[in-house]
Amino acid sequence: MFINYEHESHVYSVMIERRDDSYFITYDNTEYKVQCEEVKPGQLKIMIGDRLIKSIVTEGEHEKYVFIDGNVYKVKPVELTGRTTKKKKDTGAADLDSPISGKVVTVKVKKDESVKKGDVLLVIEAMKMEYLIRAPYDGTVTKIHFKENDQIEIGKTTVEMTKKKEE
Amino acid sequence: MFKKILIANRGEIAVRIIKACQELGIHTIAIYSEVDASSPHVTLADEAINLGDPTPIESYLNIPKIIQIAKEHHADAIHPGYGFLAENPDFAQTCNKAGIKFIGPTPEVISLMGDKIAAKKTMEKAGVPVIPGYHGLKQDNKALAEEGKKIGFPLLVKAAAGGGGKGMRIVNSEDMLLESIEGAKRESKSSFGDDTVFLEKYLEKPRHIEFQILADEQGHTIHLFERECSIQRRHQKIIEESPSPVMTKKLRGEMGKAAVTAAKAVGYSNAGTVEFMIDEHLNYYFMEMNTRLQVEHPITELTTGIDLAKWQLRIASGEPLTLQQTDIIQRGHAIECRIYAEDPSNGFLPSTGTLHKVEEPKGPNIRVDSGIVTNNIISAYYDPMLSKLITYAENRGDCIQKMRWALSHYIVMGVTSNIWFLRKVLEHNEFVKGNTTTHFIDNYFSEWTKTKKALPVEALISLAVYDSLHSKKEEIVRYKEADPHSPWKHMGRWRIGKEV
Repeated sequence: MFINYEHESHVYSVMIERRDDSYFITYDNTEYKVQCEEVKPGQLKIMIGDRLIKSIVTEGEHEKYVFIDGNVYKVKPVELTGRTTKKKKDTGAADLDSPISGKVVTVKVKKDESVKKGDVLLVIEAMKMEYLIRAPYDGTVTKIHFKENDQIEIGKTTVEMTKKKEE
Repeated sequence: MFKKILIANRGEIAVRIIKACQELGIHTIAIYSEVDASSPHVTLADEAINLGDPTPIESYLNIPKIIQIAKEHHADAIHPGYGFLAENPDFAQTCNKAGIKFIGPTPEVISLMGDKIAAKKTMEKAGVPVIPGYHGLKQDNKALAEEGKKIGFPLLVKAAAGGGGKGMRIVNSEDMLLESIEGAKRESKSSFGDDTVFLEKYLEKPRHIEFQILADEQGHTIHLFERECSIQRRHQKIIEESPSPVMTKKLRGEMGKAAVTAAKAVGYSNAGTVEFMIDEHLNYYFMEMNTRLQVEHPITELTTGIDLAKWQLRIASGEPLTLQQTDIIQRGHAIECRIYAEDPSNGFLPSTGTLHKVEEPKGPNIRVDSGIVTNNIISAYYDPMLSKLITYAENRGDCIQKMRWALSHYIVMGVTSNIWFLRKVLEHNEFVKGNTTTHFIDNYFSEWTKTKKALPVEALISLAVYDSLHSKKEEIVRYKEADPHSPWKHMGRWRIGKEV
């Protein structure tokens, strides 16, 4: 699952995936493996490696608040227009859309290249932050819509892929 | 003792007074404007009357309406709290005329102390030191310069009509005096259309120190030691402590005596506060007297063990003050932090919105006087103070540590609060050393902005995990994983207190 949060007019893009008892969170090219327990609604105990973090998350009308280490951070989930409609037809295709308007800084794959789920396909930069477009499943790249240094709009499809057939 | 009291206030102070009344077995009547309908003071009181329109002048400042409610509900007395009508002599007078006891001093005393120049003259006559100055009618430059020389340097020339630093000059020596008077006059004329100026001794490194007074209606008056309230922003206190870090035994004795003299000079009754400024050489000067219970009264309650709110009620009902000066012992150290809905990184601009979550720190010797609960709405109608956090410990160092802990465990989500800022002040080396002057915030925090650093990765991880846990897909998985025999499974999705 890709999620974008806006805080103090910066957008933070994270990917989270649950595998067994752990969550794998990718942010800023780093993957964090964490274990989590929701002690009370919104009250979290998170182990990041051997570090324990206690935080509280509360939802407002359109925003969310995190209380951590005595500080409160207010974030807004960023609406990704153009994603919702496509979501219906394909399970992972929406994840190939750009989460943000910005500039394509790196294209990591070529046409007809086969990729594994989670591989980085494209890097987009916006507001001095980098966003990674990853393969949502194992498969083959069929079309690349952008080259390096191209401007890209939010919701535009970056790369097209065909899913590897289940054997 | 009174049977029924109306509390003509809102927020934490209304809560504080209601509790004092209830402890004494007094029936309480709260009043509230429609935006305060779910406020704690409304819930707590034995009766609560809706004032409607939230505009202060139509609600908490509406004298006829409040008096009428008090009469209809047979209140024997009205407690005004602080702010709103607390220092309004007309209100006190109207209460008296209606046969309702106003809990505070007489309208005459409120009126006298409300006139700052008359108050200073009264104090000067009673032998209480006031800031040397000239507030007279002689306005020609030469005569003013002569008055200035008598006062001594450094000296402050300020516009009578002034404000915001306009028409104000600090004069360090005699040769600059005439020039500064002329300059201040010109500036005052162009800013305010009036060139009347006052002269006052300028205090370097001033501190705000005040003394708590209790006086009964028979004339017995005592003081309950000092509070230092130098940490201020926009001329409003945000951190107060008792005792003051600069106070000496000798000075405390002298100032306490001066405070009692000041109260007696005007025939003061009930709880009051005598405010002084002191300079770096520990010279003290009377500033003004506040004829009400102060916001920061809890630090005096903690360091003396005396319940000021209850004594207000007893004194107003005519009971004698049975405490003697020698009964009052100052012990340990207390600090109060005022929790405001405001943005310190944006000129302390008030912040409004819904409080999505409020959780107060709990622990030994931690007191929270609060006027808010989760889901309350902070509107722009009233003062944005949410609550007061007060800690008490054996000494100042321990008390600071406890306050830091308490602040870091105070959760306020939904509006921007000053909690983080208060923590930074308490961590500041000069604060820790006790070098607190009224210029503290301007000196050390004027350029301060909450470091607009990136969202920490821990926060991002928390959010992502939370969103993952609460995504629809995950909730279904969790639902399926739950005990297959549980009767709750057959109820479908549900939520307490809300319709799905």
